[in-house]
Amino acid sequence: MNGPGFTFWGLFLACGLLLVGYVTWMIRAERDE
Amino acid sequence: MTAQIWVFLGYFAVVFGIGWYSLRATRNETDYWIAGGELGWFTGGATMAATHTSAGTFVGTIGVMYTVGWSFGWVLLSIPLAYWFMVAVLAPRFTRQKELTIPAFIETRYYGKGIRGLAGAIILIATVVYIQAQIVAGGLIANTVFGIPTTWGMVGFTAILLAYTVVGGMVAVVYTDAFQLVVMGLGAVFAVPLALRQVDGLGGLLTLVESAHPLVFTWETMPATLLFTMGLSFFLGGIATPEKLIRLYAMKDMRTIRRGVLFSIIMILGINLLVFILALSAIVLFPSLSTGDLAMPMVATAVLPATLGSIMLAAITAAMMSTVDSLLIVAGSALSVDIYQNLVDPEASPRRRMWVDRLGIVVVGSTPVVLLLSGVGEGDLVQFIVLLFTALMAAAFVLPVVGGVFWPRATKEGAASAMVGGVTATFAWEAWGATTVEPVLCGFLVSAALFVGVSLLTPPPPASALAPYFESSTSRDSV
Repeated sequence: MNGPGFTFWGLFLACGLLLVGYVTWMIRAERDE
Repeated sequence: MTAQIWVFLGYFAVVFGIGWYSLRATRNETDYWIAGGELGWFTGGATMAATHTSAGTFVGTIGVMYTVGWSFGWVLLSIPLAYWFMVAVLAPRFTRQKELTIPAFIETRYYGKGIRGLAGAIILIATVVYIQAQIVAGGLIANTVFGIPTTWGMVGFTAILLAYTVVGGMVAVVYTDAFQLVVMGLGAVFAVPLALRQVDGLGGLLTLVESAHPLVFTWETMPATLLFTMGLSFFLGGIATPEKLIRLYAMKDMRTIRRGVLFSIIMILGINLLVFILALSAIVLFPSLSTGDLAMPMVATAVLPATLGSIMLAAITAAMMSTVDSLLIVAGSALSVDIYQNLVDPEASPRRRMWVDRLGIVVVGSTPVVLLLSGVGEGDLVQFIVLLFTALMAAAFVLPVVGGVFWPRATKEGAASAMVGGVTATFAWEAWGATTVEPVLCGFLVSAALFVGVSLLTPPPPASALAPYFESSTSRDSV
């Protein structure tokens, strides 16, 4: 046992990246309107 | 016990209050079915998140994670991806012409009343089964909180749900959903620190959970194919389940939809990640439960102090009710608008239509509990039915909806065979296919093959059907 690795922390990281991606896309979409 | 009852009575009182207030805001069918199409980002996003979060999240998801481990949590990523796809790709074309129901979109795009009735019938049957699974969960909660028999709990929840949904329609649903989302958020936010305190914080929890369940943080507890196809099921279902799509019509414009969906994604990710932590705590605190579905009730009753425990139970109830009320709208509109008014009584006056609308919700809302009382569909099947419903909706509607607004060559015959073939193939795989692959894969592939194949073999659609969704409708029909 050497602690939870990527399986655990990676999910939080992935959720964060998704949110950053969505917000970036949304800001660009609103600017282009 | 008294604290529990007071929390629940207060909670029901707020829900009723909102429901009756909504009656005044409901003047016509557009208000009744899509809240006038004028929702802002907060109410629109809140109702999407609350509808998505069902008893399956608080009982089923936590149960699966208790049993198989953390890797199941990765399926969660399919939800924001689906919503992102829905907003960025589908919504700009899909919302060019607003309709009252999803089958009404099918009629406009696929130029036929029959195909609208078919879509209504598929939605009606699948949704009634889904409502039934949620009502069963409601009965169990009522049994825990009030000590009454589960059957009385099911009848009671049905009565409460019908009372505000029939009266206030979609307006009542979205405002009660916003309130119920707050209850769910509170439940999860309060429960996690208290559960963590019992296991020496997050660091302590991670160490303890690995010694209790050594494979919990590995990929070995669930076959990769199952994990991937489950994710696919939630992705496709997220795009095309009617209770999600109809909310695109209910929100004001594209800017509102983009912001509302962002809010919804934040809430869904937040609530689910907190629930996942509770599942890990349950592995440590209650290592030998007979079924994972007991993990959440155990956390609520044995870990939390009485008042917080009842807020947690209210959160589970809120998750169940905010999903069922949206399903009632979808199933009720399928019955009264897409089947009855469309096929049987197209000449009804506006006043008569409003009565039929309300009657439709009463019928679809009482059917599940009548079926349960007569012994049909009992059993502990919540998460199983949620997955099957999602798979059926994905197999039936992804291609006709997404393909309908992007592929001008798609025909009525192609869409009808995609719906029937997708549903049949999903059931067939459920009955006879390999259990390591979710049925949605088979249903979706069959649906796609029929959609494209049959469309190409039949005459192209008339220009009038394409006009609402394609800029120059006549020149693009040979893509």
